[in-house]
Amino acid sequence: MLPRLWKIGSGFIANTKRSTKTCTPMSADFNQRWHASYPELGTDPVPIEPLISPAYFALERDRIFRRVWLQVGRIEQLPEGGSYFVKDIPICQTSIVVVRGKDGQVRAFHNVCSHRSNKLLWGRRGSCQVMTCKFHGWSYGLDGKLSFVPDEENFFHFDKGRHGLTPVATEIWNGFIFIHLNPHPQETLREYLAEVADGLTGYPFAQLSTTRFSWRIDLRANWKIAQDAFQESYHLPFMHKQSLPDSYTSPKNPFCHYFGVKLWTHHRRSSSYGNPDHCPSPLEIVAQRFGSSVVNRTFAMEDLPPGVNPERRREWALDTFMVFPNFNIFVLNGTYLTHQFWPIAPDRTLWEVSTYFPAAQTAGQRFSQEYGKVLLRDVLLEDASTLEATQSVLASGAKTHYVLQEQEILVRHAHKVVEDWVGFYRERENRQ
Amino acid sequence: MTQRILPEIFTDLEPYAGWALTKEAERSRKRQQSTIEEIRAFYTTMLPRMEAVLTHLNQFPLDAMPEKEQRLFDMTLALAEVAPAVELFGKPSEDDVFDVARFVPEHE
Ligand code: FES
Ligand SMILES: [Fe+2]
Repeated sequence: MLPRLWKIGSGFIANTKRSTKTCTPMSADFNQRWHASYPELGTDPVPIEPLISPAYFALERDRIFRRVWLQVGRIEQLPEGGSYFVKDIPICQTSIVVVRGKDGQVRAFHNVCSHRSNKLLWGRRGSCQVMTCKFHGWSYGLDGKLSFVPDEENFFHFDKGRHGLTPVATEIWNGFIFIHLNPHPQETLREYLAEVADGLTGYPFAQLSTTRFSWRIDLRANWKIAQDAFQESYHLPFMHKQSLPDSYTSPKNPFCHYFGVKLWTHHRRSSSYGNPDHCPSPLEIVAQRFGSSVVNRTFAMEDLPPGVNPERRREWALDTFMVFPNFNIFVLNGTYLTHQFWPIAPDRTLWEVSTYFPAAQTAGQRFSQEYGKVLLRDVLLEDASTLEATQSVLASGAKTHYVLQEQEILVRHAHKVVEDWVGFYRERENRQ
Repeated sequence: MTQRILPEIFTDLEPYAGWALTKEAERSRKRQQSTIEEIRAFYTTMLPRMEAVLTHLNQFPLDAMPEKEQRLFDMTLALAEVAPAVELFGKPSEDDVFDVARFVPEHE
């Protein structure tokens, strides 16, 4: 796929020439047989039922989302004592308030009042010194203790100490706040993250997280359909032919083949090619000159920890770390982004996407970030439209399975891991 | 002489000051509501001046720019907003694409 020619007439643009850098010789081919390394995955078509079935969805709630560590936000969202944000978790029919105490400690509680179970905080985020329920005015401290009850003397045998908010298990890894809906999780967050945490050891999340741009999308598609679009690159030369004409493809790697894939028990990783001969657009050149952003790959691999781009390929663009069940970290050189897919219904998902940068010091740096952020959003608009289109015909009965190729092995693994936890087909077989 | 709304050396950009919008949602709405000819006129006027614009703006603190500089800066963000329309799609947005208004920004 050749870079487009910049035809727009102006002196500045006329100076923009295609990079004359010679092509980087490939250190290995782009046709690795991933499935051969993971024979337990098989190569069979994958059933569609888990993408449309309410019964399957209910099992995902009970057997996955209630039993795993779930990422809910970053510590930068809680800058000071009293800062809070509210995280609704619709599949678990709950809402969580995550709050930083005066002691600096981050705590999470079910966002449910102890009196008659009103939803305590209705806003999405804010800052407060006490959390007060709108219904009858019960107030809670930042530590979740019940601090004030209007007309308290009319309650019976009442002990305020017994009516605090219901705490939720909370742990932090690299600034990411995770919660667990089991009050006594079987494993620590670090044990749960396992190889993901190993691989990302030393990645400068703190420096890269001071600026965060986020979007929320109420998507009419199953959460796995949405997530799958970000764990295969086969669609790039087609779906993103307009928006990403030559960043991740080249005549040497026209189908965007991965050069690294690692599948773990629950999580997975991939490494993607970036075209060193990518032809920047006129404004991209300005963005590169005045700052760094997603469009600016510096290839300074010595700055990256060994678990990122472990293959140490010069043509590296990004690694994806897919944290089971619904949190994805895309690690680039100088920035990272996250996707999270919150199931609402079998055919509906809250999709949250964030892109993170060091705080801009100058107008030029901020402009550069804006360029990268808008491009990312426009790429994601292309993904979003196909996700809803897919969901709209999935239940037609026209197909019962879909077929996956070599480069879609992360999708295959994701569906297998979900089924490992859910056991829908396992139980059906046992009944027969 | 009318009141200048951009810094002295950039008054040639004033016909496009309508793009000086502070929020991503406003900038993207203006992109969607403009024709590609209007967008291209803004882009081709701004692009050759960007080097000078950003060099000028870099002299001011990002969070406390004078009013005219802030307006000019917001125009550079709008230029980033319209870049894909001009450089990639040749239209405000692609056919059949997801409605950008459904990408609800949590940021400004
Ligand atoms: S339900 Fe909260 S004070 Fe009554
Ligand atoms: Fe995509």
